[in-house]
Amino acid sequence: MSHTPTAPSRGAPARRRAGLVSLGPLPWIAPAILLIALVVLWPVYEMVHTSFLRISSSGFVRGSAGLDKYRKLFAETDLGHVLTATVLWTLVVVTLTMVLSLALAQLFNQEFPGRRLTRWALIAPWAASVLMTAIGFKWMLNQTAGVLNTAMTDLGLINSPKDWLGDPNTAWPWMMFVAVFVSLPFTTYTLLAGLQTVPAEVYEAARVDGASTWQTYRKITLPLLRPAFLVGVVINLINVFNSFPIIWGMTQGGPASATATTTVFMYQLKDTDIGESAAMSVVNFALVVVMVLVFLKVSRWNEEES
Amino acid sequence: MNKRVLGMAAVCAVGALTLSACGSSGGGSGSSASGPVTLKLVAADYGDKASNSSTLYWNDLAKAFEAANPTIKVDVQVINWNDIDKQVKTMIQSGNMPDVLQTGGYADKVADNLLYPASDVLSTTTAGTFIDSFARAGQVGGVQYGIPFVSSARAFFYNKAIFTQAGITAPPQTWADVAADAALIKAKVPGVTPYALPLGPEEAQGESMIWELGNGGGPTDSSGKYALNSQANVDTFSWLKSNLVDPGLTYANPASTDRKTAFADFAAGKAAMLNGHPSLIQMSTDGKVDYGVAPIPGKAGALKSTLGVADWMMAFKKNGHKDQIKAFLDFAYSEQNTQKFDEEYNLMPVTQDTLQAMTSSGKHQDLQPFFALLPQAAFYPLGDTTWDTVSAQIKQSIGTAVSGDPAKVLGDLQKKAQDAVANK
Repeated sequence: MSHTPTAPSRGAPARRRAGLVSLGPLPWIAPAILLIALVVLWPVYEMVHTSFLRISSSGFVRGSAGLDKYRKLFAETDLGHVLTATVLWTLVVVTLTMVLSLALAQLFNQEFPGRRLTRWALIAPWAASVLMTAIGFKWMLNQTAGVLNTAMTDLGLINSPKDWLGDPNTAWPWMMFVAVFVSLPFTTYTLLAGLQTVPAEVYEAARVDGASTWQTYRKITLPLLRPAFLVGVVINLINVFNSFPIIWGMTQGGPASATATTTVFMYQLKDTDIGESAAMSVVNFALVVVMVLVFLKVSRWNEEES
Repeated sequence: MNKRVLGMAAVCAVGALTLSACGSSGGGSGSSASGPVTLKLVAADYGDKASNSSTLYWNDLAKAFEAANPTIKVDVQVINWNDIDKQVKTMIQSGNMPDVLQTGGYADKVADNLLYPASDVLSTTTAGTFIDSFARAGQVGGVQYGIPFVSSARAFFYNKAIFTQAGITAPPQTWADVAADAALIKAKVPGVTPYALPLGPEEAQGESMIWELGNGGGPTDSSGKYALNSQANVDTFSWLKSNLVDPGLTYANPASTDRKTAFADFAAGKAAMLNGHPSLIQMSTDGKVDYGVAPIPGKAGALKSTLGVADWMMAFKKNGHKDQIKAFLDFAYSEQNTQKFDEEYNLMPVTQDTLQAMTSSGKHQDLQPFFALLPQAAFYPLGDTTWDTVSAQIKQSIGTAVSGDPAKVLGDLQKKAQDAVANK
């Protein structure tokens, strides 16, 4: 690993100068550090601090709660199925997004008439506010007036309009669909950028050697796409795990907490106990950190395949 | 050197912030003896557009009050319903409390000992004008803190055209009537929701309490303790499940259907029956729905009482403006002012003189059934300081009692309610 400047033994004056010199960049990076402290570290501190407080429903702090809020949280009967749902939600949405994006990126990497236009069109779900998209789908799925319900009835896919979002069994697939829909543009563009960094000579060499299309894809494209793919997976993991607007916009996690992930559950708890809600946030925060660390470890981040 | 300057600047900045914070919270405290006092009034906005915002009402009232009381200034802040709870919480947390607050609930503030008892801030004349049931709903442990401001009551609405089409001549009196009528409507008027049962998070505590009242139940027992899973309540939800939900006589998923959906459906002629409040009158008229209003059906017969709801006025102790608040509330509760407010927003009065005036004026024929119900209204256990928390839990999950096991869902709620009581 790299050596820190203070590590080698030197005379005292030299060390002092080294100390001063190392402070040199401070004025330039200080704004960034301040910003990070203000918008990242301070809220994290407040979140952890709140989870140890007893706060009345009128917003009055009544003193320390010790670990009570955590005990209460882990005693919630709903927590078990909420955690399971969160894992399923994250896995399904990220996997579907990555698979579909690989295909889309490949498509958009080809020359075809109207490519520029379709590339632009792909941005639409990304450019629109996620909450707006979610509410849009909620209304399209509305039982009495929803356009999707009407269309599906007219096409004979269903017998009569259904209350898709009222029943957890049908609400989950629809919300996953919307989550994939809004995640596709970013992921596709990340992979597309990755594809464009693959040098043409490599493909030419493969062709000369007589590799089939599938062989070329598996042995050349995928390995060289690895950095872009990993970036896509990590960012999607965090985004989808923390995804709030889609679920809140479409079902509010209901009925009860049957369609809630931990993030939505945290928001539901806020109505009854802000301390318990903060405890859920802390657990959520820890889960994200652990999940990303595990993923990076498993995928050997930054290491080229041997 | 640089660092020192920076440090100095930081200290100054922090100091300035602290000073200004002290300034804003300490400005008016303890100065009730002399000089002009500024009362901070925070109120909810009942309007739905700029032209009928409650800001106009309060500004007019404040101006008239200041003219009559030159030593008192009123600082009016009107906040919309979506934000008022959050903003008031922030005010309380930062110690920057209002003197007078008008909003949806009061009891949680009593729990933290923030409020004056009503007797400290109301003259005996004003205190005597309130309808008894409302004044009692403002009590916590026998002392009144919540001062009712406006009210509303629930009644049973039905669509007369759909009833005629289904061959039903009179509104239902009992639960069995409701189920039988609903079945008739389902058979003869397809495409209409026979009974709209909104048990979604918006207002599930209201709809469920109305049904529980019909079976002699309710959220609390006769001693005032929570009894969410009493036999009467479990039976109520079992009945709803097997007689309305399972046969498809209401929404497929009541637990995720909000009241605004039910109201919109009724006003569009797509729901035949529901429990509504006075705002549905205007909605139905706008939707050209020929509606009827009847007493709420109970298990054995139509209910004598109904669910009453009220919004509240309260006075905070923090700034010590007891006398000024008293003068202001006496002014605000004059018959002329309350009637103006109730008529502006089609709300129900909480004072006897205004109720008398509105009943006899003949201008409010459509509200007559509700006026008659007001004095017998039953309330949520508002005086219980844990009610806000318990109510939020009920809203969240009571709807699942008509799809799952009623005893289990209500049992879980009761356990949470008892936890809330133990931790209050």
